[in-house]
Amino acid sequence: MDFLLGLTQLIGVHTILGLSAYVVLLTGQVTIAQAGFFGIGAYIAAMLTTLAGWHIVPAMLVGASVAGVVACIVGFPALRVKGLMLVVATTAFGEFVRLFWFNFDYQIAKGEIMVGPEGGEGFKQIRYFPENGWTTGDVALFIWVILIAIMLALWWMDRSRAGAVLRAVGEDELAAQSVGINLTATKVTAFAVGGFIAGIGGGIYAHYTTHIEHANFSVLLATFAIAYPILGGLTNVTGTLFAVVFIQGILVEGLRFMGDWRNLLFGALIVVAMNVRPRGLIDERVVMIVGRAFSTRKGRADA
Amino acid sequence: MKRSWIIAPAVVAAAMLGVATSSVAAERTVKIAGFGAKSGVVRSFGVNTEAVMRAAADHINKGGGVKLGDGATGKIEVTFDDDRCNAEEGISVLRRIAGTDAVVAVGPTCSNVAEPLFGILQKKVGDAGDSGVQMPIFTDTAIKGGLAKISDWAFRNVPNESEMYQKLFAWIKAEHGELKTVYGGVEEDFAHSRFTWHKVMKVRAPEAGFEVVGESKWLLNDTNFATQVREMKKAKADIVAISAHPFTTCGVLKEMQRQRVKPKLLVGLTSSSSLETLQGCAKQAEGIIIPTSFAPVTPAAKVAADLSAEKGGSADLHSAAAWEIMMVLKGVIETSGVTAKPDTVQDDRRKIRDGLAALKETEGLLGTIQRTAEGEAIKPYVYVHAKGGSWAVLHDPGS
Repeated sequence: MDFLLGLTQLIGVHTILGLSAYVVLLTGQVTIAQAGFFGIGAYIAAMLTTLAGWHIVPAMLVGASVAGVVACIVGFPALRVKGLMLVVATTAFGEFVRLFWFNFDYQIAKGEIMVGPEGGEGFKQIRYFPENGWTTGDVALFIWVILIAIMLALWWMDRSRAGAVLRAVGEDELAAQSVGINLTATKVTAFAVGGFIAGIGGGIYAHYTTHIEHANFSVLLATFAIAYPILGGLTNVTGTLFAVVFIQGILVEGLRFMGDWRNLLFGALIVVAMNVRPRGLIDERVVMIVGRAFSTRKGRADA
Repeated sequence: MKRSWIIAPAVVAAAMLGVATSSVAAERTVKIAGFGAKSGVVRSFGVNTEAVMRAAADHINKGGGVKLGDGATGKIEVTFDDDRCNAEEGISVLRRIAGTDAVVAVGPTCSNVAEPLFGILQKKVGDAGDSGVQMPIFTDTAIKGGLAKISDWAFRNVPNESEMYQKLFAWIKAEHGELKTVYGGVEEDFAHSRFTWHKVMKVRAPEAGFEVVGESKWLLNDTNFATQVREMKKAKADIVAISAHPFTTCGVLKEMQRQRVKPKLLVGLTSSSSLETLQGCAKQAEGIIIPTSFAPVTPAAKVAADLSAEKGGSADLHSAAAWEIMMVLKGVIETSGVTAKPDTVQDDRRKIRDGLAALKETEGLLGTIQRTAEGEAIKPYVYVHAKGGSWAVLHDPGS
């Protein structure tokens, strides 16, 4: 049971990371910066709980806000370019953040040990959850409450004018601009919102792993961040969740018993999934079928 | 009459089944869960640990198994999971193990996995306010200094590098008084190698009277070392100390050969005193000196190495530690009253933790191992050097 709850924690955090990229992908931008924002949220939230003794919720919000502000600042120059150039620019930013933490050293004595970020050695003893008696179930519930809140917010946004604006920019920038949409404002807003969400995910990640280091926030994590919404589909927020369950739940954990074969199958199954469902696991067709099923059931109930 | 013909065999069969059942009940399975990296660049470490653990379990089982607290006999069963040297996967693997009836876990390979893993364990044993996982972990490979103090449930059987390199540099100074300068090469993004250069070699070399004249850095996945070796060449140091794992150690040594960099002495990282280094660059590594806590120089070490080879693994300083761990666990299980019943799993884990914490010394493959109050080991060691494609003992500081 503890293992399954632990797995739901991991799926929850990775879904939050994936959703941070989902917002940006809606505007048609491919970003490799999400691992950087995730790292900013992780380090700041961890420092606030471990060094300053804050409660985890305000610590996470501050970490996420800083990540959001940094995303906004970085977004202005970065989003002047697009396509492959944006990928290069955001990769550079992600590496800059990673190397910043690699060189960042700030420790204080806590009892008999020193705690705080220690450059390349990492940041250990982020033990807010166990020290405050949070069980694995409590942590899983906490993560999923936040995840559901983020998903509901994005679902609402998707159905509002804001969502239509994001998708319009993503579909055709020229057409969007011709109807009066401010491209820069739209993209930077999406970037900032994505940074904020990634920061929240990072804050949780730091606390459930209890140890973070620069290598956790590498290009590999950023690649996973954009792979989740692309594999899951951009039609609906639930696609990202399904993709994370597919990758982390089935490919990584479900196939662990296969030993070395797991790594071979990992890549192969993702390629198969992308070929079978090129528009994502939850594409327009699935959304339509589910929508119809719900409306039919509602119609019957009304009758 | 007819009925008695039916009943008699049934009674005999039932009696035989009863005898069989009671013998099964008397012989239980004691599950020990290994885990480590069996994928990626450090794959060989996990592969070797698994082979050594399985060889040790067979050795124990062939010798009669383990005596349990209620008089029954137990056979050791080993499982092994791959954590891919990834912190999140390591945590998942540990939670999975904690959900089984394994009484103790052995692993992980990587220090960057050990740190978060030890962090999710209960810090102080018996602290009801700490909801951390209560599972004893005995580490064979993750060697970065001082990790066991993170939790009362964490124990390690890894060498003390600080002491090994202190003695090594002092010995080199005594043997080669003409050598004055040291140049460092470090695999900067790997917790262990980074720690060993910056906190051990770079500190211990000046203490022994050497001057550190520079350092070059590279990454675990790097394949080109031209720039780093060029910097090394410029420094013209007497000794080059390489704090890196076999894969990049070999890359650097080959680049040194290409650029004709020939220091008077080479010093390597403990983890590189393995078969992988010799398979990758025996010629270029010729003469490199490494302190190690394992060499097949005692009868027990030779048996461990031979049996591990039969299981498809190589006994080196890391995997041989897993053999020692299995033997220590056998002793602790027998002395602490572990019963290995499905309903006593948590009690058994606590007994093993307490038994490990109470140990002051254990018998290792090279001699007696001292155990510290923080769950660490102080192991005997020797200096080996690469000679003619194999590792040969150069000096035994304990002799």
